[in-house]
Amino acid sequence: MRAKSLFLQHGRQFGTLIVLILLSAALWALSPHFMSLSNWLNIAQQTAINAIIAAGMTFVIISAGIDLSVGSILALSGVVMAGALQAGVPVPLAILLCLAVGSLCGSANGLLIARGKLPPFIATLGMMSVARGAALIFSDGRPVSGFTPGFRAIANGEFLAIPVPVWIMAAVYLLAHLVLNRTTLGRYTYAIGGNEEATLLSGVNVRRYKTLVYSLAGLLSGLAAVLLTARLNSAQPIAGINYELDAIAATVIGGTSLLGGEGHILGTLIGAFIMGVLRNGLNLLGVSSFVQQTVIGAVIIIAVLLDMAMKKRRS
Amino acid sequence: MKKVPVLIVILGLFISCGQRRQEQAAPAVALVMKTLNNPFFMDMQQGAEEAAKTLQLPLIVQAAERELDVEKQMQIIENLIQRKVAAICLTPAGSREVIPAILKANQAGIPVLILDTRVDSAALAEAGGEVATFIGSDNFDGGRIAGERIIEKLGGEGRVAILEGIPGHETGDSRLRGFHHAAGQAKGIRIVASQTANWERDQGYNVFQNILQSHPDVQAVFGCNDMMALGAVEAIAAAGRTADILVVGFDAITDAREAIAAGRMEASIAQNPREMGRLAVENAARLIRGEKIPVYIPVRIELVQK
Repeated sequence: MRAKSLFLQHGRQFGTLIVLILLSAALWALSPHFMSLSNWLNIAQQTAINAIIAAGMTFVIISAGIDLSVGSILALSGVVMAGALQAGVPVPLAILLCLAVGSLCGSANGLLIARGKLPPFIATLGMMSVARGAALIFSDGRPVSGFTPGFRAIANGEFLAIPVPVWIMAAVYLLAHLVLNRTTLGRYTYAIGGNEEATLLSGVNVRRYKTLVYSLAGLLSGLAAVLLTARLNSAQPIAGINYELDAIAATVIGGTSLLGGEGHILGTLIGAFIMGVLRNGLNLLGVSSFVQQTVIGAVIIIAVLLDMAMKKRRS
Repeated sequence: MKKVPVLIVILGLFISCGQRRQEQAAPAVALVMKTLNNPFFMDMQQGAEEAAKTLQLPLIVQAAERELDVEKQMQIIENLIQRKVAAICLTPAGSREVIPAILKANQAGIPVLILDTRVDSAALAEAGGEVATFIGSDNFDGGRIAGERIIEKLGGEGRVAILEGIPGHETGDSRLRGFHHAAGQAKGIRIVASQTANWERDQGYNVFQNILQSHPDVQAVFGCNDMMALGAVEAIAAAGRTADILVVGFDAITDAREAIAAGRMEASIAQNPREMGRLAVENAARLIRGEKIPVYIPVRIELVQK
């Protein structure tokens, strides 16, 4: 039983990985600039922010939920941190504050869903607007910019020739993989998504774990805000619009079912890379942004179709 | 076996997207705009393409999907650096946010020409970055001319509303300052409302409709771009007051010129994006040839009226 489910899990990732490899091969053939170490580091850096948000989204979607508020939470935690930095708060404290704001918004989502019994779509739709508005109020609608080189190093620094954001992304995925597969939080996330009623009846504190899942998504949005703010040397109250859609796309391409109960974190990472590689490749080829949107949409659909077809054959 | 056709489709998609670009091995000039779905930038693109054709220079035009998506614009620039373009002509989506991307181009030895929206020069200097030139109009001056037009038509006194762009953006802020400068000269002019409509037409409509509720006696409105001004034109028409509220916009896009000709709008400020596009490519070509170019290349501004 366990062996079979493991096989299935890896089978799913295998499908997305094929899409990624094919895409890369096609782009390699088409652009002389695609297959270089510097371009891959470039892609990894550009993928990091979406990938980090998508890691949280994967937990939420596995638990049969959805989080539309991640982009707004990113904007709010970003401007709060930027305000703190400009007020002279030391960098580590400001980052903690940013993560705290993100987690708090996520917990609010979680409480509304787990205790208030609101559907996740509604609760996070509300939070999407509340957090966006709060970000605009806090910053008076203006971008907050200009930080110390120490803070900016989070985005443009390197460690062992690899950009810091890529290390952060790797660490997030390693931890997320461990949490999802080795801890009770991970097990119950799958269980709640698979059958919430049964999980509740078997004595699991479903409310608590649901709240935790949304808090985690908020926390990771906060972390993404740190990276984005350092990258642009500016926190914008209008940052992160449509990021929830990118994160959901990466998760779904990665083989996580929107019905909940199944999915794999490394699939999401591959999904995020598929989107990053596509955007990068289409830029390198000089394709217009109108065509880019169409192609990205088509690839999302094709990737999921392919994934479903492979899953059907295996089962 | 089912997946084979799917794979063929994916490959086909890419080959068809890329085929035309294969021959572009010569050093290319890139034009990075804020968005492709605003007539202003479409005109800019046209000007650039005409110049590139004359000069026989490969031109790559890229833009973010949304006008203020600085992160997407940064990704585009990073990718163009990988593509090893010879020069980047850039319309910054954010005067400061774009600086890290300029630094990256600097490090790669690719000259950056700024169009339309200025980069925050103090922040750029502090970051140690540099740009080759600024090609654009004086937005402050444009705002001042718009203000003077309204003052003249109102005979020096009246109640005026303003539709602002997104706060914190150099273009809109300068236009606004220019307008306030002109309004400050006329004692009888009172600004009764000044609200942002985020550069957009539908928001221009809604915001001005709300302003009409609270200030039904408003006599003129200045939109910091034509999209918002045209939204106000529609809101005014819906209220049946086209005859008694003056609308002055900015950019003189085709729709605005038509509204002016039809008497639904008073005036607009023409910035000539097409010339910006042309000058950008021509000066990029001069840079590639190793020539020097001026640090500021002004593009003329004019009042478009009936």
